Amino acid sequence: MMPEKIIDIKSVCHTFEDGTIGIKDIFLSFYKGEFIILAGRNGSGKTTLLRHLNGLLLPQSGQILVNGKTVSNHLVQTRKTVGMVFQDPDTQIVGDTVFDEVAFGLENLKFKRHDINEKVTQVLKDLSLYHLKDRNPSTLSGGEKRKVAIAGILVMDPEVIVFDEPFSNLDYPGTLQVLSTIIDLNRSGHTIIIATHDVETVIDTATRIIIMEKGLVKEDGRPCDLVKHLESYGVKEPCSSKFGLGIRPWLN
Amino acid sequence: MAQLTPFTYRQGSSILHLLDARCKFFAICLVSMSMLSARLPVCLFYFLILLFFLKKAGLKFFTTMGSIKYFLMFLFFIFAARALIVEGEIIFSFHGISITKQGLNEGFLVAFKFFLVMLTGLVFSATTKPSSVKTAVQWFLKPIPFVPEKRVAVMISLSLGFMPIIAQKARDISDAQKARCADLEKNPVKKIIRLVLPLLKKTFLSADNLVLAMESRCYTDDRTDPEFAPSGKEIFFLVCSILISVGLISL
Repeated sequence: MMPEKIIDIKSVCHTFEDGTIGIKDIFLSFYKGEFIILAGRNGSGKTTLLRHLNGLLLPQSGQILVNGKTVSNHLVQTRKTVGMVFQDPDTQIVGDTVFDEVAFGLENLKFKRHDINEKVTQVLKDLSLYHLKDRNPSTLSGGEKRKVAIAGILVMDPEVIVFDEPFSNLDYPGTLQVLSTIIDLNRSGHTIIIATHDVETVIDTATRIIIMEKGLVKEDGRPCDLVKHLESYGVKEPCSSKFGLGIRPWLN
Repeated sequence: MAQLTPFTYRQGSSILHLLDARCKFFAICLVSMSMLSARLPVCLFYFLILLFFLKKAGLKFFTTMGSIKYFLMFLFFIFAARALIVEGEIIFSFHGISITKQGLNEGFLVAFKFFLVMLTGLVFSATTKPSSVKTAVQWFLKPIPFVPEKRVAVMISLSLGFMPIIAQKARDISDAQKARCADLEKNPVKKIIRLVLPLLKKTFLSADNLVLAMESRCYTDDRTDPEFAPSGKEIFFLVCSILISVGLISL
């Protein structure tokens, strides 16, 4: 049975004010439960594409449909369906305690206070963050901050979670924490899209890899088929593949 | 990991932590205004009360003073200006510049009052979550027509929340410059420009990112109303604040 289509991108282009091409003529479809890596060197258009999925940027031409509805006409619905975790958690933290930070999205959606408290508590427990609920987010470790950012998205019940360089500036334990959270989210049915220029940590879990260059989608396919093409697009090939061992799990 | 500034909220369970932010807001406004006409002995008594609350808030006095040293320098300028300007019994004179006894007394009192107001604010911000400050501001502004109270409250809350991040960025920039021998530069204006320009750039970029992050989580002015959680000790605290204010004015 064909999985259900969640996001449909049709001929989307975006050029910045200074004339730089962000993305050009993108045709893509994302399906329920997929784990997608969006790879490419810096400036290849990954972040620009991700921001279109959440309605932070709107296509200058073409169309993006989320669950069959045009993003530009259904912004709130889109942002509920597609949650976005940014590269730098420090600049996306709005609340002064972990609890308030996670509650922010639900307050915007005008949930009742009682429901907010219940949902936030549940998500914090699910992500093992409950013991930090009264902490100031700026005092947390890198991995914990990123998990708080994920909790802030997860509490809004998204179907798709988009990550922009989720492992940047994280130490090994932080990377492990975030990676296992992302894998659990995918196992629980969320569609995951990760933009990264370092695919080593997630390539084993990914079901699909999309390689971008100069705003264009250059390759789209299964990781095992494309792993040898990565370096020609400025993306490091995983060590195991380089040594002829194929794609090996990074996380035991 | 960001370092805490003395103005950052610290988790705790002291009476000040538990009090409703509206009550604390009202109390600090009342006490700060009463300070205008207070005399030195009463100010000293109030200072002792503040020291007690400072300890309760988990702040160490000397460490706190170290981190507000620039403000203390500002107070010294106020003190010096008063000492030189106010006329009276001359203690010391040099090339027509005189320091008077009245000037020293008045300068010390004014600087000390400013110091107490700042310390009160510091105790308030260390024991009150920015979200509670936002909630209180929103509640106070609600009856005022044509004021978008929710927007103003969010702006205040974000400004308070961003202080430690900006301070951390300033430290990072300063350290990066020191690593390249920037402290050999003796011109203070050049030093400030070198620090301020990259700091502003980084701050604006962070603000842009924050806007995107808020937008991506459906930010709107029309949000779930905040929740107040009074501890039941507010009346007692307000009565004490009124008594302190009366004491500051009349004694």
